[in-house]
Formats: sequence, C-alpha cells, structure tokens
Amino acid sequence: MSNRENGQKSVLVIGGGIAGIQASLDLANMGFKVYLVEKLPSIGGRMAQLDKTFPTNDCAMCILAPKMIEASTHNNIELLTYCEVEKVSGEAGKFEVKVKKKSSFVDWDKCTGCGLCIEGCPVILPNEFDQGIGKRKAIYMLFPQAVPKKCVIDKREDRPCKAACMDACPVHTNVPGYIKLVAEGEFKEAYKLIRETTPLPACVGRVCYAPCQDVCNRGEIDEPLCIRDIKRVPSDQWSIEELEVPPITKTDKKVAVIGSGPAGLAAANDLALKGHSVTIFEALPEPGGMLRVGIPEYRLPKEILRQEIGYIQKLGVEVKTGIRVGKDITLEKLKKDYDAVFIAIGTHGGMKLGVEGEDIPGVMEGIGFLRAVNLGEKIDVGNRVAVIGGGNTAIDCARTAKRLGAKEVTIVYRRSRAEMPASAEEVTAAEEEDIKIEFLTIPSRFSSENKKLAKMECVRMKLGEPDASGRPRPIPIEGSEFIISVDTVITALGQTPEADFVKQSGVSLSKKGTIEIDAKTGVTSVEGVFAGGDVVTGPAFVIDAIAAGKKAARSMDQYLNGQPLEPEEEWKEPEKLSQKEIEDLKKRFPSRNRVGMRREPAKKRIQDFREVALGYSLEEALEEASRCLAGQTEGCIECHECERRCEPKAIVYTKKDESIELKVGAIIVASGLGLYDISALPEYGYGKIKNVISAMEFERLTAASGPTMGELRRPSDGKIPENIAFIQCVGSRDFRHKAYCSSVCCMHSTKEAMLAFEHHPGTRSFIFYMDMRAVGKRFQEYIARAKQEYNVTYIRSRPGRIEVNPDNDNPIIWYEETSSGEVKKFEVELVVLAQAMIPQITRELAEILEIELDEDGFVRTADRFLQPLDTTKPGIFTCGYVHSPRDIPDSVTQASGAAGRVAEEIASSRLNRDSQGGN
Amino acid sequence: MDEPRIGVFVCHCGINIAAYVNVPELVEYAKGLPNVVHAERNLFTCSEEGISAIKRGIKEYNLNRVLVASCTPRTHEPLFRAACEDAGLNKYLFEFVNIRDQCSWVHMREPERATEKAKDLVRMGVAKARLLEPLEEIEVKVAPSALVIGGGVVGMEAALNLARQGFDIHLVEKEPELGGTLRSVYKLFPTNQEATKLIKLFVEQIEKHPKIKTYLSSKVKEVTGFIGNFDVNLDGKGGASKFNVGTIVVATGADKLKPVGQYGYGKMSNVITQLELEERMKKGEPLGQNVVMVNCVGARIPERTYCSRICCMTAIKNASLIKESNPEARVWILHRDLMTYGVDFEKYQRRAMEMGVRFIRYSLESPPEVVGDGKVERIKVYHELWGKDIELPCDMLVLTTPLIAGEDNQDISKMLKVSLDEFGFFLEAHLKLRPVEFAMDGIYICGSARWPTDVAEGISQAFAAASKAAGPLRLGYVKPEAINAWIDEDKCSGCGICELLCPFQAIELQPRDDRRVSHVSEVVCKGCGTCSAACPSGAIIMHHFTNEQILAQIEALFS
Repeated sequence: MSNRENGQKSVLVIGGGIAGIQASLDLANMGFKVYLVEKLPSIGGRMAQLDKTFPTNDCAMCILAPKMIEASTHNNIELLTYCEVEKVSGEAGKFEVKVKKKSSFVDWDKCTGCGLCIEGCPVILPNEFDQGIGKRKAIYMLFPQAVPKKCVIDKREDRPCKAACMDACPVHTNVPGYIKLVAEGEFKEAYKLIRETTPLPACVGRVCYAPCQDVCNRGEIDEPLCIRDIKRVPSDQWSIEELEVPPITKTDKKVAVIGSGPAGLAAANDLALKGHSVTIFEALPEPGGMLRVGIPEYRLPKEILRQEIGYIQKLGVEVKTGIRVGKDITLEKLKKDYDAVFIAIGTHGGMKLGVEGEDIPGVMEGIGFLRAVNLGEKIDVGNRVAVIGGGNTAIDCARTAKRLGAKEVTIVYRRSRAEMPASAEEVTAAEEEDIKIEFLTIPSRFSSENKKLAKMECVRMKLGEPDASGRPRPIPIEGSEFIISVDTVITALGQTPEADFVKQSGVSLSKKGTIEIDAKTGVTSVEGVFAGGDVVTGPAFVIDAIAAGKKAARSMDQYLNGQPLEPEEEWKEPEKLSQKEIEDLKKRFPSRNRVGMRREPAKKRIQDFREVALGYSLEEALEEASRCLAGQTEGCIECHECERRCEPKAIVYTKKDESIELKVGAIIVASGLGLYDISALPEYGYGKIKNVISAMEFERLTAASGPTMGELRRPSDGKIPENIAFIQCVGSRDFRHKAYCSSVCCMHSTKEAMLAFEHHPGTRSFIFYMDMRAVGKRFQEYIARAKQEYNVTYIRSRPGRIEVNPDNDNPIIWYEETSSGEVKKFEVELVVLAQAMIPQITRELAEILEIELDEDGFVRTADRFLQPLDTTKPGIFTCGYVHSPRDIPDSVTQASGAAGRVAEEIASSRLNRDSQGGN
Repeated sequence: MDEPRIGVFVCHCGINIAAYVNVPELVEYAKGLPNVVHAERNLFTCSEEGISAIKRGIKEYNLNRVLVASCTPRTHEPLFRAACEDAGLNKYLFEFVNIRDQCSWVHMREPERATEKAKDLVRMGVAKARLLEPLEEIEVKVAPSALVIGGGVVGMEAALNLARQGFDIHLVEKEPELGGTLRSVYKLFPTNQEATKLIKLFVEQIEKHPKIKTYLSSKVKEVTGFIGNFDVNLDGKGGASKFNVGTIVVATGADKLKPVGQYGYGKMSNVITQLELEERMKKGEPLGQNVVMVNCVGARIPERTYCSRICCMTAIKNASLIKESNPEARVWILHRDLMTYGVDFEKYQRRAMEMGVRFIRYSLESPPEVVGDGKVERIKVYHELWGKDIELPCDMLVLTTPLIAGEDNQDISKMLKVSLDEFGFFLEAHLKLRPVEFAMDGIYICGSARWPTDVAEGISQAFAAASKAAGPLRLGYVKPEAINAWIDEDKCSGCGICELLCPFQAIELQPRDDRRVSHVSEVVCKGCGTCSAACPSGAIIMHHFTNEQILAQIEALFS
C-alpha cells in the first residue's frame, strides 16, 4: 500500500469479472500498479457463475480460478473487493479517486476463510450467486472458490431487541438463532444449535423454567415469545435419532462422572466431544437422575429422555447403572482409575415433617414416591390423598396421585398462594385437574384405623413477619385444628444431598451437606475432583444443573490438558429496552399475541400418564417462531454465533465502512453485465410457471458447486427433465424490451442443451431461435455437434406464449411453425429462457466518472475505429460487456486492449503531461 | 548439501483438517520420520502466526528443508515459499503436502483412515524433501524492440501502440503499400466512413513515427531464438535485412475466397463478389436496377463449415449503400442466419430494412438458383414464409464469400513454431482466455489472421496483442520457470522424441561432436515434464521432480 502515493503509474480497474481481471493482469505485468475494485466480496464476476464455457466446454471455474489467484497474488495488484467508487476528480494522468470499502463486519486480516462461522449462522437467505435458487447464510462466502477467500456478514440493520433472552439463560442458549432456524423450518440445524449449549434440548424444551421468557422484549409489544415451547419443536418435527455423530479426535484421558442427571450428562457430553473417555456411574437402574425419576412422565416422556441420553452415549459416553459410589465402589478407587472425577449426584434425599404418626404406612416421602412411580412400581394411593408442600415436587406428587386413581387430592400448604414456590403454570394445571389446595394449613398429626392411615389433623396458619427466607412466617392459629380423612399422605418438603461418602477423600461439605466448590471453576477442595448441580446448590432447576455441568466440563478439560483453570467470561445482565425503543418497536411491529401450545383437556389427561403438552403443529410453530423480534431483522440478527465460533477472532460487529483515497493515472471500466428482468415478459410466465427458468438459473443448476451440487432437476418436483426447450431472444431483439442482440445467448443455450445431455444422456433439447448467431471460431461446428451428438433440435420460431399443464406442471409452448405458418403447441418438462443481458453500470457511476452511456446504457466510445476502447472522457477506457454485448474471448481481448491503451497513453505522456519521462 | 534437516508444519485449517485428521498424532508421527528434526501444528499455517512459526522454525532448528502439510499448492505455495525465502532458505527447498483437498475433505466419514492416509502423504513428502535441491531463477534480458508482421490497419495499430511506448518497431508488409485488405474496401460498416480515409490516417502516423521502421514488399524469411531475443531475417525488394527483437506480433490478415464455378461466377458477366462490388461502387460504375445478393457462398457448407463473421454485415452495408445512392434500385439479400450480433449491427440491419432492402431466408437444402443464359436474368429461390419458389429479377448477382486463411500462414507457422487451426487460421494459446497469445512465449496474434474480424474488433485486438508484447519489453527481462528440464548429454541418444513431444517447442536437436543431442532452451521450457517422461534413455532430468525424488516417494508409500 506504500506506493499508493505514486499515482501516475497506477491504474484503477472497475469490475472484478474476467475482463477486469485480465486488464489488471496485463497492466501489472507491464509494471503498473493496479487497484482492482469489485463491489462483491470476491472477484470472478459472471464467469464464476457459469458451469462450462462454449465452444470448448471447459469448466468455467477451472479456467477462471487460476486467473483469480494470479490476480490476488500479483505484487502489482491490490484487490479492493466489496468496494465501490464514490468520487472521481482530476483528469487523465492524475485522477483522484475515493473508494468506499463496505464493512464486511469481518476483519479480513484475521479471517482465514475456514467457514466455521457459516455453519453456525441461523439466518438463511436466498443465495444471489445461485440466482436465488440456493440458500446462503447471513455470514457467507460468495462462492467456495472466492478470492479473496474471506467471509462477509450481510448485516443491513441493527437488531431491534437486545436478545435479553440469551443473557438471562444460565447456559446462554442462542435463542434468536434457534428460533430463526425454526422459523425457517430448519429443524435439524435448530436442534444442533441448541445442543451447542444444552445437551438435552427436547427435555429442557419441556421442563425448563424459562427465565428467558421473563425478559423477552416482545413482551413490551404484546406477549413474550413461547421460547421454551419452541425449543421442543425441532425434536417434534424431526427425529433426534437421525443426528449424526461428529468426528471426534480422541485423547488418552479418562473421566468418571458420578450421577447421570442433567449436570452429569452435560459434563459427560462436553468432555466426550473434547475427546476424553467418559464413564458415568449411576446408582439407580435407569440413567437421567431427576429427569428420569423426579419429573413425571406426563411432563417429560421417558422416551424423549432416552433418545437424548442415547445420543450422548453415541458420543462414546459409557453409562454404568446400578452402581452407587460410596457403596459399590469408593471415590478413592475412581480417583485412582480416572484422570478426573465429576460429582453430580443431585439431592435425592427427602425431608421429614417431624409430626406424630409420620411413620404410619400410608405416609410417604414425595421424592421417593415419584421415584417409585417413575421406575414403574405399582403404588396404591387409595381414594383420598393429601400432599404436603408448595413446591413443584408437591404439584408433581399431587398430579401423579390423581393419575394413579385417587378421587380426592388435596395439597396442604402452610402459606398462601402468593408464596407458593411452584410455578404458576403448574399450580393452574393442578387446579384444572380438580386438585384442591388448602392454603395456610399444616398437618399436626397422623392417625391410623385398622393399621391403616385414616386421618390427618391440621392446623390453620396466619402470616407473620418475614423469616430468614424473606417470606412471611406462618404462625399457627390456636384452636383451629380440623381433621381431613386420608388414605395416603405424601410429604414434599424439600430434598437433601446424600454426599457423605465424599468426606473420606477429603472433599469438604457445607453444613447443609452440600459439596463446597470454587464457584467459578467447579473444582472441590481436592485436586482433580469437581462437583456441580443440586449436590452443590441444593435443589434447583434443570438448566442450572446443566450450566454447572458445562462449567465443570470446561474446567476439567483445561485440567486434563495441563492448563490453568480459567473461568468463562462473565455475561452481561439482561438488558431492557428504553421507552423510546419500545415506542419504535410498537410502530414497526403490529401486536400479535402468542400462539399457545395445545394441551390435553384435564378430564382426559388424568386418565393416564400421557404427555399433557401436545406440541405445536408445523404451522403453529412457524407462526410463533416468526414473532421473535430478532428474527425480523433483515440479514444478520446479531446472535453472535459466528463470533463464538470464529477461532481467529475476526468478527467485528461494530466495523464501519471505510474510505480509501487513490491517485491513478488512468481508469478502466469493466463492470460487466447484468441480467434483464424477464418477468417483464408475462407471456413466458417466468416467476409464475415453476418449470420456466432463466438461463443463468440453469447454469447454477448444472454447476457442480451450485445449489443442487450439479444435479439437473426441475423446480416443481425435482424430476430430471427428459426434454427441455430453450427459448432465445427473451427480451433481446425486441422493441418492447431491448432492441439489440445480446450476442452470446445462441451459444450458451446450445452449450446448456449439451450439458443437459451430458448430465442425463438421452435428454432431448429444442432450441427456439430467430437466427443462430454462431460467428466465433468453432461455433458452427459446435452447433453441428449439438445436433448430431447431443439430441438438440433447432426450431426457427419465436414462441408467443407459455402455458402450464396443471396435471404435471409441464410448460406448454405455443409457437408458429415458420415453414407452414401453422400454430402449434409443444409440451416439455422444462423451459429455459435466454434472458437479455444488460450493461452493468449505473447512471450515477457514469456521472461520477463523467463518461457517456448510450441509450441502452452501454459505455459510449470515443471513436469506433480509432479509439474503440476509449470512453468519451480522456484517460478512462472500457472493455467487456459494459462496452458492448460480447462473449468471454472478445471481452478478454478488449481487456488486454484497454490495458494496452493505458500503457500507450501513459508512456507517450499524453496522460502524464505534468511528469517527466512517464515510462 | 548438508545432511537434510526437515521441519514439518501441520495445519489444522480450523476444522477443515483437524476435525477429520488427528493432527497431534500426525505431528508425533512426523517427528519420527528420517531427517525430521522438528514438527509442529498450527491452527492456520497460512496466518501470520503460522508464517512466523515457519520462519522461527528455520532459525531455531537450523532447518534446511521445510514441509507444510495443509491445503493446496495452487493457492498457498507462493506464500510458504516466500516464508522460506524470508528466512534465508532457497524456496525450492520447500515441499507441499496436501492433506485437505485430497485427504480430510474426501474422507470425512472415516477419520481414522484419513489420519492414516495423512501419515502416508507426509511420509512421502518427507522422502521427497530429503532429496530436494535448491534451484536458481534466472533473468533473461529482453531486447526493447518488436517485429510486427502485416501492414493492414491492425498491424499498423499494433506497431503504433508499441512505438508510442518507446520501443523500436519493425513493421513488415509483403505488399508494396500499407493498408491490407481494407485497400479494396469501399466503406466501413456501421459508420459508412470511407476505408481509404481510415488507412490514410494510419499511414500518416506510421510514416512520421521515428520509432517505426517499415519494410514494404518484404517477407520474413527466418526467425530464430526465443522470447526477449528473436533474430529476424527479412527478404525484401530493397534487399535482405537482419535485426533482433524482443517480441513479435502477427497481423497478417486473411485472404478472400473466389467462388469460381458457383452461381455462374467466372462464367456469367454479371456475377461478382462483394469486394468486386465495392471496387465498382468506388469507381461509381452502374450496377443495374435489380441487385440480388447471396450470402454464405462457400461458407457454412460441409467443405467449409465455419461462418466468417463479417459477411452478413458486408452485404447489408453494400445493399444499404446501393439504396442510398439509388433509392429506386431493388436490392434483395438472400441469407441463411443473419449474423448481426450486438447493438449497432442489429440497428444497422433494421435501418437497411427501413430503406427497402429485402431480406429473404434460404436454407442450405434449397439454395437459390440462377436463371439465365450467359448472363444472370433471374434468381429462383424458395420463400419459406410463402411456402413456394419465387423468382427475382436480377441485373447483378453479388456473392458474399467468406474470408479464408492467408496463403502464407503455413510458412509463417513453421518459421515461428506456432500452430494453425483446422481452417488454416492461426491457433491461439487458449480459445477462451488467451485469444491473442500463442502457446509459444513472446509471439502474439491479432486480426483476421486468427479469425475473420471487422475493423473495430481487429483494432481492439491489435491493442490487446500489443499490450501482451509490451509486457516483457517494459520489464526488460523475463524470468523463466526454474523448475525445468535438463539434458544429460552423455545419455542422450539423439532420437528426437522429446523434440517432437515438447508442447512449447523448447527442445531442439543440436550437433555435439560427431552426433546430435537434445538441447532444452531454459527460457522456453515450462517444466511440464513431458520430455522427461518420454525419454527412452532416461537422459532428461526434470528438476524438482527428478526420478530419484519421485521413486523415493513411491518407496515411502509402500514402505
């Protein structure tokens, strides 16, 4: 860049297609410094979009790529891709040019083009390079062979919400990301994205307490998004069993995980992905911890859990059930046999009420009750059941009892509804199921009749001053005793860890019996032993346990690699929107209430343990997902997934457009061709009839790097077309559109017909033409070969209209037989329209350059014979399609010619008046 | 050369390689290979970090060979070679092993086997690296002058362009005056300006340019040498001349087909060609009231399949000119496909129709027929739209004939060692992307000598050829490929197979003592290796791909 100063021997080339590349190379080889400006992120131009080139049928990319690479590695060429010329001043020999470098939001000095970011991006957009047939992501590379091989973020506006959901989530799940993917119908990708932070998406999508929803800024407009419900959609719409195992590079490290609940599974999952060998020790006969034995089937079907654990096993995790560490095997032994140990045994111990008669058969402890039911034990609860407690476990017990056949189920809670720790949703569900709640009530005594539990004596309470927990202390009201008749009482008063066995190895416990850890890294008082989940925090939520498991796994991986333990970066607090922002949002997005998930009616659902939440239909899912504000953003939704994946740290969301100032002696305009919008010819049905496509679309369909990987299939049903019609002069040689001949279509249609045959020998092609303009070297022979060897028939006629056969979506072409004058119709399976091509230069750019365009928009030349490559402005030259319609060899020739003109003008000092010498 | 000390750098390429190939294992494996004194892995070897790792490695471990196992030499070899050079190592002591395109990408579903294959590839690379030898790049001086063969407007434009850049130009024309084919043309489409005026503009500039020496009535007799240094012998009216040039532009144009025996040409007095028509129009001779033109006479037929590109426009131009000078005249153009491509030609044709020129399409299967005795009176032609034969009154029948390859093309092709195509025109290096170059370095082609072309296109081509020819002249030197072929003259039997096969005409049998041996011009040789592979005596050593190196790789593969 140092020689940017020396302007006279520098040349600006506008347009990075084959003409611009060739002009740059020739100039560079003559010793000129070249700035090659291209508005797209990669050079290559139209030629890069082509499958093959006539008349040699050379693969376009195979002959273009070496030229692109030569241009990018040439010492005299500076590529300015993703740039546009903004201002030109001065005159021949001393132009001053201002170029805008559009922000790619990626630091190209760091980007290595590895493509990791693209995989994670949830935003799916039509791929312009594939003429919109294929899809690309918001972060993308123009095409696989892009030069420079750099990524670009298609970021058009800032995200309207602040994605507080991600900040609120304990594992910082990429909520905008997966919701966007669900909205796109990309269920597998959505599942994979959730799985990056949560190894149990389908489970969490059912039982999470969803702190994300509380902060969702959609709530400021109407209602928060049903984030949790959307999370289960991917696994409802697609089978987890189809998820393939990624390649994993194994290490020689072994890890023991004690407990197969959410914390243990999360840690095992992450460690296995890092290549470590993980064995889980589970005391119970089935893996899953509280997910398996604490949460009833009607909230979380066991099959779902089994599938998600099954995938973790597929990653190489070994699960040993029925082994209780501390009893069947010692912690010491595990420490010796494994390189690291993770303790995640949860809190499976129940708590006692401490009142008379608690040991009478018929009085059961809640966690044990749920465990028994979940493990398939037959339990007779009788007709009248009382559940003591106000947490989610109490609700689970009550609803389970109802499903076991109890007629009357009563929850007895010592405070009022407002203080109930159970989620409001669960309480409502219980009440729907005809479960009674006795608030401000506490049992004082149980008594039996005939050795069977019969009565529960209760006391009414009143609320007093707040206690240590901050809630008002319940105070018994004297003389308020009353009796409830019961067959079964279930106490759900809280859970305790059963972790005493760890003390032998020196792991310290708190007074409450929980394991003490370093909060940032999860390491216990003993090196190599980590802990997390409920056994550390006491009973908490599933997602908290998962977060703890992941945190520990991260530290353990560092520990196993001999690295210092470094805690993860802190996340910011969920951010609220300002009043102004809320007002703006309300203007922009009309109110749309949430689509709630359908549930089994209470009468029906209490009959058995089938899942209550019925899931979304596809339409409902897409509808609800499309309410996400982040997803309303055009292009990038700023979910930062790319940023998290980018190893060289190249993503810079805040990157701004830059301005580059250049001094050059001459300019070459080689901005190439555009495609005429052929939907302006309604008679051919483009855009309406599915199996009518444009020639450039056909190129992308046959290109090996195209959206179908080179499979030529028609749009309506993916059928391989057996016969294809090519219609010439669509918009060309037509006064209503473009009066001129586009010059290359006769040949490219012939080529495409040949390619169709090469893809599927036997394919018949029919080319409807006016004149077959095959004027270049070997062109006539090419056409002869098409007829003789490739089943191509040429029909001299200009079709009048195209209709569609509704039975099979086949286009029907109406045309006049030139020789007989007879109007005929002709049905084919695919129609390819040879669209007119137009010069690709805006009037604005022409004005900036002070060059003239002709009435069709082509660059006007100074003199047809004497200065065929000079524009009307001295010092500015032109070549390629923007000069006049022409094929690749003619464009390349003109490009070299324009370079020759520049050399001549600069050397002969005509462009270089003010300097000495010049050459 | 000292004992090889090889450094191996394995690239993760993010996940492109590392997700499928066990890179740490590969590095450990590489460490155990013979002569490998250092091996390491990089997240991206091509990043700044990776490049400094290579440079650091060379210094710290005193490496004298570097091997990178990563992506593809196509994109990254120059970068890694430059890193070696920066650290003071000859860049040909660098070896590239592609474990991405040809390994990790194709074996994504079998990571273990991918790792094994990567080990094989690295082992082979190391085996070759041990035998690598430094190569030196030479610079060959280029004489600051050029030869332009052909003095039509295309040749003149090429000469002017180069002369204006300050180079000495020798412009050779076989005819006694400059101007070429255009001398017999009346006006130029689509502007209708007079051809002779255009020629005059060019000739004036040629004559006054001090850097251009023009040789009229002269032919090139012999050319020897190669790019930068061609020796040229001329034979001319003024005697023989000899000079030395750096590059050559061929602009010899094409010849005109005389359609003897067709449509009464040569027998009937009122049957002429378009060029003959133009001669008459120049002189203002009367043409008669009814003029019929037949296109594609001698073109697009089984014996001459090609379309000569410019004839439709020539016919339309002459038809328009007739109508312009005599609006009462009736002019018909009997044509097959009408080749009025682009913006201006299409417009020009439409203008002709508006002026009253009639266009009737005929097909090869039912060509027009001449009716008349000793003289064409009428033309019979099947009218497609009317579905019947019609007869047109005809005072003058004008045959539109194609350009054909110049009669001297054979001689020039042999002399310059450049090829001709199946039609006898000169064959460019690549039909698509190298249209004005020959496969032979330093010689360029433009105008109708390559393919029929109109004036504007021909002049654009002249600029293009001149631009190519100017490259080496401006730099003042050429840098031939250092990876080239070398003949062991003791082993060479002089059989000449290599000379025959060399696609670049880089090999010549030359006398040595009492026999003839092959000689490779290191300037022309591109290092393709064809000769070395074909040599029955094993006398040709292909640098950087020697038999020993390749055999060592093969042995390493199967060891």
